[in-house]
Amino acid sequence: MRAELPFLGLMALVAIAFPLSDARAYLDPGTGSFILQMLLGGIAGMAVVGKLYWTKLKLALSRALSGRSASDDAENHE
Amino acid sequence: MTVVRPDPGSFRDPSGQVFRRGNGIFRTVAARAAADYEFVRDSGLFDRLSSKGLVLSTAEVSPDVLGPVAAASRYLLQHPLIRFISYPYEWSFPALKAAAVLHLDVQLEALEAGVSLSDATAYNVQFNGPRPVFIDHLSFRRYRDGEIWAGHRQFCEQFLNPLLLRAFLGVPHNAWFRGSQEGLPTAELNRLLPLRRKLGWNVLSQVVLPTTLERSTRTATAALASDKLGTLKLPRSSYRALLQRLRDWIVRLDPADTGKTVWRDYAGNHSYQSDEVKAKAAFVGEMAAAVRPGILWDLGCNSGDYSKAALAAGAQYAVGFDFDHGALEAAFARAKAEELAFLPLLMDAANPSPSQGWAERERQGLAARASADAVLALAFVHHLAIGRNVPLDRLIDWLVGLAPTGVVEFVPKSDPMVRRMLQLREDVFDDYTEDAFLSAVGERARIVKSLIVSAAGRRLVWFDRSE
Repeated sequence: MRAELPFLGLMALVAIAFPLSDARAYLDPGTGSFILQMLLGGIAGMAVVGKLYWTKLKLALSRALSGRSASDDAENHE
Repeated sequence: MTVVRPDPGSFRDPSGQVFRRGNGIFRTVAARAAADYEFVRDSGLFDRLSSKGLVLSTAEVSPDVLGPVAAASRYLLQHPLIRFISYPYEWSFPALKAAAVLHLDVQLEALEAGVSLSDATAYNVQFNGPRPVFIDHLSFRRYRDGEIWAGHRQFCEQFLNPLLLRAFLGVPHNAWFRGSQEGLPTAELNRLLPLRRKLGWNVLSQVVLPTTLERSTRTATAALASDKLGTLKLPRSSYRALLQRLRDWIVRLDPADTGKTVWRDYAGNHSYQSDEVKAKAAFVGEMAAAVRPGILWDLGCNSGDYSKAALAAGAQYAVGFDFDHGALEAAFARAKAEELAFLPLLMDAANPSPSQGWAERERQGLAARASADAVLALAFVHHLAIGRNVPLDRLIDWLVGLAPTGVVEFVPKSDPMVRRMLQLREDVFDDYTEDAFLSAVGERARIVKSLIVSAAGRRLVWFDRSE
């Protein structure tokens, strides 16, 4: 399971950025279900995901350099 | 003119609303949902699904029929009345399983017709006897190429997870579902499942991964919005495979607790003689033939012997209640095998389903759904009066209040069953006597007929308060 985590984290970003409000349903499908379905569907948007991951990395680096930790940021979103 | 009442549970989807007038059930279709409705109707999907009994039949009627409440609606649909509305926390394991399979079958057939479902709530399934039927015509939408299954999480929480709880851990879903009306959260089931259960792909993909992914997104930054992500799609073949795989899995699920529950073997092992059972069935049949109840409630239905007798004699529909899962599963299997108009539901008469949900009106309690034309309470009174300490007078008051007529059995203290109930406890039930029972019934109703049916003195009473 541990080995999959970076990939899962990557996929998680898809869910954050995907405009869920675009879905027609009045129901929130939930990010876990959404990313799972992207995984099951074979993921056409790997390039987009790669770009996201790169952006995420840059953000994390810039935070680290500016003295703020990523975990601080995460807590702010809890 | 009969009053038009909005269904208090119909508000979540702005596409339309359900109304009841007398025995007529109506559904408005709002302008925002009209195009989807027209597409699905014109595709013939509703007709195909309802001819197979998968979806409730529907007919368009003029919005004028319902008066002002439907004035702004584009369409007004009329549906047949469901005899008794039930909720997933009242369903037995095989009933919930049948409802889950129905939902997936509806989706699979819809997808072939270019239609998807906007949600996957278990409350959109109702039962006609043991047969599940999908009731929400406004859940059907045009399928858009690449769309995800929006109801996937809801399906897991309201169908899959409750079934897994019983199939893997031997814990019935009912108490948890009743307390948590949106179903069992996947993250909580994930915490309960042992590691060995998580190694298979089905549990990994439907329980472990969604939990992990959901958690990841909670702790990650939200600063990465990108319009390009809107182009990510779930291919239709993957959508179909997801539905099919879940269906194949659910069909194979069975309760893990294969041991006997309290009443599973009751019909074979209890202290009655079969002559007694026959005498009771004949007594119940006589009442049912005379009254011909549209709906009969059978309290403590066990595997449904007396509901079956009443149906054979002239009752149209029977709803059984019992608190024992094994008995209910036997009753459900029997209703299905013998095609009885009989729906057995989980209910503890000492703690019936309450009215709950939004404004405490979304899901109705048992009292709010009271509609019985006749009630049966055989081998029932002692379980509440002695097993649960409900005073006999109050118990009879409640029972006689449920329906204008019915058959109630009194089991005296000399009966082996009651003796066993009192074996390990003090007998504090001075008022539990046949005289007290008969006078409690007599104060509230006419006693049409009364009969001793066992050597130990079990007595059946047919009461009628309708005159």
